[in-house]
Amino acid sequence: MAREAGLSAILVPGIAFAVFSSIRTIRRELESGTLQMALAHPVSRRTFLAAKLAGVLGAYGVFFVTVWASSLVAVRGAILGAAAANGDIARVWGPSLAIGTAAIVVPLAAGAVLNRFAGFRFARTAAFTALAVAATGVFYKFDAALSAAHLASSLPLVAPAVFFTVFAGAAAVRLEGNNAASLLFLVAAVSLPVLGAHYIPEAAAGGAPAPWLYAACSLLAVAPLAAAAFIAGAELFNGKDVA
Amino acid sequence: MNEVAVSLAGVSKTFRDFWLRPTVKAVDGLDLAVARGDVFGLLGPNGSGKSTTIKMILGLLRPDDGQVRLFGMPPSSVQARRKIGYLPELSYLHPFLTARETLAYYAGLCGLGRQDARRRIDQLLEMTDLTAAASRPVGGFSKGMARRVALASSLIGKPELLILDEPTSGLDPVSTHEVKMLIRTLSKSGMTILMTSHLLADAQDVCRNFMILNRGKGVAQGMVDKIEGSLQDYFLAKVGEERDFKVAPFLEGGAGA
Repeated sequence: MAREAGLSAILVPGIAFAVFSSIRTIRRELESGTLQMALAHPVSRRTFLAAKLAGVLGAYGVFFVTVWASSLVAVRGAILGAAAANGDIARVWGPSLAIGTAAIVVPLAAGAVLNRFAGFRFARTAAFTALAVAATGVFYKFDAALSAAHLASSLPLVAPAVFFTVFAGAAAVRLEGNNAASLLFLVAAVSLPVLGAHYIPEAAAGGAPAPWLYAACSLLAVAPLAAAAFIAGAELFNGKDVA
Repeated sequence: MNEVAVSLAGVSKTFRDFWLRPTVKAVDGLDLAVARGDVFGLLGPNGSGKSTTIKMILGLLRPDDGQVRLFGMPPSSVQARRKIGYLPELSYLHPFLTARETLAYYAGLCGLGRQDARRRIDQLLEMTDLTAAASRPVGGFSKGMARRVALASSLIGKPELLILDEPTSGLDPVSTHEVKMLIRTLSKSGMTILMTSHLLADAQDVCRNFMILNRGKGVAQGMVDKIEGSLQDYFLAKVGEERDFKVAPFLEGGAGA
């Protein structure tokens, strides 16, 4: 259980990272003027914002699925520690290390080679290859029960954080030029769920009842969500000048 | 069918600082109507409110007072924006995308199907003489080429109304001539064109009707061919002011002293 909770914590900073990136993307569009160009086309602000956030989350999703898959393989390695005790270390940890390394090296190499010789876009090719390698990690001796338990333990942390991500991005659009307020808001918003994620595995390892700690952490994650909703308000998408 | 493409009634816009204190009144009670099929010039000196007016027409800025309508619809409506194309004063492009990818991106925002988009992108690349450079990232383009990509982007949705903010800004005389020819050709096809320009000779060449803005207010409007003399002289008579540049104290003692 402690191990699963620890793995959940991997996803939360990942989402926090995606929040910063989403905001940076939108801010960059605002500053470069490309947002004006885009919003002069027949697309609603809501749709554009949702698509941007989905794109950024998708891109980071590839990365964090890779990390998650590698972790899953590592967990399986620990569970099969008995095999290691029997001297069968290479069979358990070998593939884990291979997939973990391949998840980084293969996409970069594939992106570079296909870019050089076939004119493919580097980022796109590397991302698709990373996804393929990650899928290999997930399905390597796939353990459905372990994966389901891992996923279930992640949800209380991840679900509020995902909602928060969307609102934080939208709030950043609303706050626009007010960098200090944006930064303050984001530091508070991002640190709280990360703090919660840190304490859960600690407490769970010490035998504390994990469910209420999960709930407490979820509340911590929901607090910035509520703050973001308050700041953004009803005019979030409609009251804002984009120029 | 609505015969008025763009209408503004009593539109005002004041920019404010963080504490909502007014900093500048960019547009002040502006009334404007652009008929379908017209080539309309919105003219005025720097800071007269032209770009602010255009951005309110596009729904990028919200007026504090008054009403903006595009083909009878509010500018925030996706349906209204389906009918417009916009060329901003500066060519805001994603530098890492190629010319073809840029057009494909905007075709996607216009909701064009893959086949339609490909056909239209080829036509526009041909029309703007960018076919040979279609696979190069636009970040490496000259200013004139970037302008042509932006112009092609504004036309990708085959708009009924084309809004051009300083369309010849930064272009050499040949490119300027080509853009003016293109505006005339598009106008003949029935497209409504609303443009701003500092270059009054250019405006005189292509516009049928005009409005002169000064300090956010419409100070004159009419038909270009009804003006006696040049638009430049008319413009200066309306907005020009005698100004004492107070050069003497600066030059006291002579240059280099």
